[in-house]
Amino acid sequence: MLKDLISKYQGQLREHTELRAQVNTNRAVTLLGGNLVTNSRSDQSGVSARVYKNGVYGFASGADYNDDNIKAVLKAAEENALFMDARVNKGKKPLPGLPKGNVPLSRDVKDPEQKAYIDFARQIDAYIAEKYPKLASRIVNVRADSMEKILVVNDGHNTHSLLTRSFIYLFFTANTPDGAPVELFKVFGGYGYFDENFKSPEDLYEGINELYEKVMQKAEGVYPEAGYKQVIMHPDLAGILAHEAVGHTVEADIVLGGSVAAHNLGKPVASEIVTMIDFAHTALGEKTPLPIYVDDEGTPAEDAVLIKDGILTGYMNNRETAQHFGMKPQGNARAYLFSDEPLIRMRNTAILPGKDKLEDMIASIDDGYYLTNTNNGQADTTGEFMFGVSMGYEIKKGKIGRAIRDTTISGVAFNMLKTVDMLSDDMYWTCSGMCGKKQPMPVGMGGPAIKCKVNIGGR
Amino acid sequence: MKTIREIAEYTLDALKKAGADHAQCVVSSGNTDELNIDGGEFSLMRTLFSSSISMKALKDGKKGTISINKFDKEAIDDAVKACIAAAESSVPDEAESIAELVQNESFTAGVMEPDRDKLFDRLEEYMSDVKKDYSKVIIEQLISSYNRSHRILMNTNGVEFSYEHGGYDISSMFSAHEGEKASSFIGYGGFFTKLDRKLIDFGMMRTLLAESERQLDTKPVEGKFVGKVVITPACLDGILMTLFGNFISDATLIDGTSPWRNRLGQKVASEKLSISTIPLDDRVVCGERFTADGYKSENMEIIKDGVLKSFMLSQYGSKKTGLPRAKNLSQSLWVRPGSTSFNDLIAGIDRGILVNRFSGGQPGTNGDFSGVAKNSFMIENGRITFALSETMINGNLAEMLNNVVDISSETVCDGMSVLPWIAFDGITISGR
Repeated sequence: MLKDLISKYQGQLREHTELRAQVNTNRAVTLLGGNLVTNSRSDQSGVSARVYKNGVYGFASGADYNDDNIKAVLKAAEENALFMDARVNKGKKPLPGLPKGNVPLSRDVKDPEQKAYIDFARQIDAYIAEKYPKLASRIVNVRADSMEKILVVNDGHNTHSLLTRSFIYLFFTANTPDGAPVELFKVFGGYGYFDENFKSPEDLYEGINELYEKVMQKAEGVYPEAGYKQVIMHPDLAGILAHEAVGHTVEADIVLGGSVAAHNLGKPVASEIVTMIDFAHTALGEKTPLPIYVDDEGTPAEDAVLIKDGILTGYMNNRETAQHFGMKPQGNARAYLFSDEPLIRMRNTAILPGKDKLEDMIASIDDGYYLTNTNNGQADTTGEFMFGVSMGYEIKKGKIGRAIRDTTISGVAFNMLKTVDMLSDDMYWTCSGMCGKKQPMPVGMGGPAIKCKVNIGGR
Repeated sequence: MKTIREIAEYTLDALKKAGADHAQCVVSSGNTDELNIDGGEFSLMRTLFSSSISMKALKDGKKGTISINKFDKEAIDDAVKACIAAAESSVPDEAESIAELVQNESFTAGVMEPDRDKLFDRLEEYMSDVKKDYSKVIIEQLISSYNRSHRILMNTNGVEFSYEHGGYDISSMFSAHEGEKASSFIGYGGFFTKLDRKLIDFGMMRTLLAESERQLDTKPVEGKFVGKVVITPACLDGILMTLFGNFISDATLIDGTSPWRNRLGQKVASEKLSISTIPLDDRVVCGERFTADGYKSENMEIIKDGVLKSFMLSQYGSKKTGLPRAKNLSQSLWVRPGSTSFNDLIAGIDRGILVNRFSGGQPGTNGDFSGVAKNSFMIENGRITFALSETMINGNLAEMLNNVVDISSETVCDGMSVLPWIAFDGITISGR
């Protein structure tokens, strides 16, 4: 567990200053066709300071976590703030104050031995190798990461926090009848340490079997027909839709950069059945996949309602953009490493479920696609988005048809969301991804199945 | 331990004493001064003091790797123990090894002392130039930094390489705005060692700024057609690195799924195409001097006149597959320019599109790709006509390389790569 060497400096913090000690751990094991190609452990830790002065920030960090270095980074951050203030001279007002408080660490810090990851991965790999010899390739990839922080601020909440995730990614490759490889992957795990998420390899067998069935279906699959189509997005895609297509455009720093949301606050941007929230730590009565209680500026975290009944109602802010837009900061400023400054980031972004049944949604489509898996997504400040679709099916006359090969869907978020006419009554969360925005960041995302219209790539 | 060499020596010695049969470590220290602009305004100055040790131990043919960012003896001793424990828990693999001693060498490159005030001046000038010459453009985010690094690689075979380098970089993300109209954003940047010229004149910067303003009014391609796609230097490196990741890198060659696994020395692309990685080229800023495996880097032909000349295999991948190791593992790409000017290349296209950015799903191992043509333009009857939105391109990377129509005589260097414009045929282009 990270020792607290920084609280004693609280009385010395001038202006608006954040002082943060942090350790990130990453554990990785990869079996490629039974070969252990990755067996690594990485720890990155240190201390950083950020100082706000008249509209600009100075930041400094160093790896050594001792009194000398804490003083050195505080001094360097202040000098950088002074340099920027002298050169830029924005002359902005101080940031509005925050309520003071302290949120202590609420769980134990652990570090499972590397052997635990390797042994589990080998058992999974052995099961796959024996049961599915027809696979052209298999990868078993174990990943575990943690982020422990102690934050001390002169204004706001101090905190000692811990986020920990562990996952097993399985990548299967099968050959098409003409010998070309097609891939599909599945992720197991979520928030928590490896030994908490993975008790027995047998618990994964059902999911492994499903993955095999799907990749074999995909190997027999067809290219989708390119064009503007009616689709059902599986909840897996709804989460990435919430995050990429809408979420990024309503991050207030992106709004200041000219995103499409700048002109749409208070306006309808989606059909009336769409509500979207960036949850802090609790959603629909349950803990979110990545609960955040205090952000890295010392702001107590609360939910940010972004779209309510189809109307764009808010942005995600840090303290500075909240002041600019006259909004309340809700705890979206997050930093990845000790050497990173807090940026406006999503936490657990989701479209809320509706009232429809998935089977009714499929039955309502005469000619379209059911898109079940995604492998990446990107969005534009214009709201134009793209997701890679790694698995899906044709829908013909209300029935599921042939599997489809890899494709991509695209659309313009605030146009596409207006085509949403059905939402399933269930909810699916994931937190296995990393959001990229100068720094990587673990994020949670979720939603129901969505019926809408998008462009689909194909031949 | 005062120097990173002493730290590397101590680490290797500790790994041997702890039971490693073979070991390698890479120790580096450095500093970064970084200036940030957000929403068109200077926002942050960041100073980083960085340090890292990556160690690899082989024991009974089993590998463990650890990385930490601390230089104190206690942290190194703990990491050494964890590294040996990881190796002991591992699986024996005859392909695991460390580099053999050939000849040790030290390298330096770039500029070792930053001029922080001059960099700030250049950035202020860049912002002023953008405002004056491209008044509709907003710089959404700009990050520019000076980075200095000293890195040493040592192993228990006596291999020792040292590399000290310093340089500047810029990454600018921008879009054009007029009322409620906005272009797609695009990011562009690169690496340099001198502050002797305007940043707005760097590489394709002016072209992309001007094109952003032209992208305020867009329309989709009508319907669907199979046509030509001109990939610009701003977009080409990402496409080529994806292709090489799928076809000639460790993972797909080891598991045998690469379509090119048996194609070394055979024609895999149009004879017009020659591609190399050139980390030692003078135009590349602080390029790779030694590989992560501990070998001195050399420039490497990947494709020459359409024939596959090399794989991008690590030492492990090489031993695992029996195929030759890459002479470098950099991403400093060079594509041989053609003899047609860019204007003539466009003039030769009846119907197609010019693509500055590709936003797509991860292409499959078979090379199938599908995605959105961003920051792109329609080409009709030899002329660039209108800016595009909601237009998708679909094809296969391997087929694409065999369908090269033409390559421009002009190239663009961003300090990392030197690339031309390439026109490919046979791509499915679809709009709404």
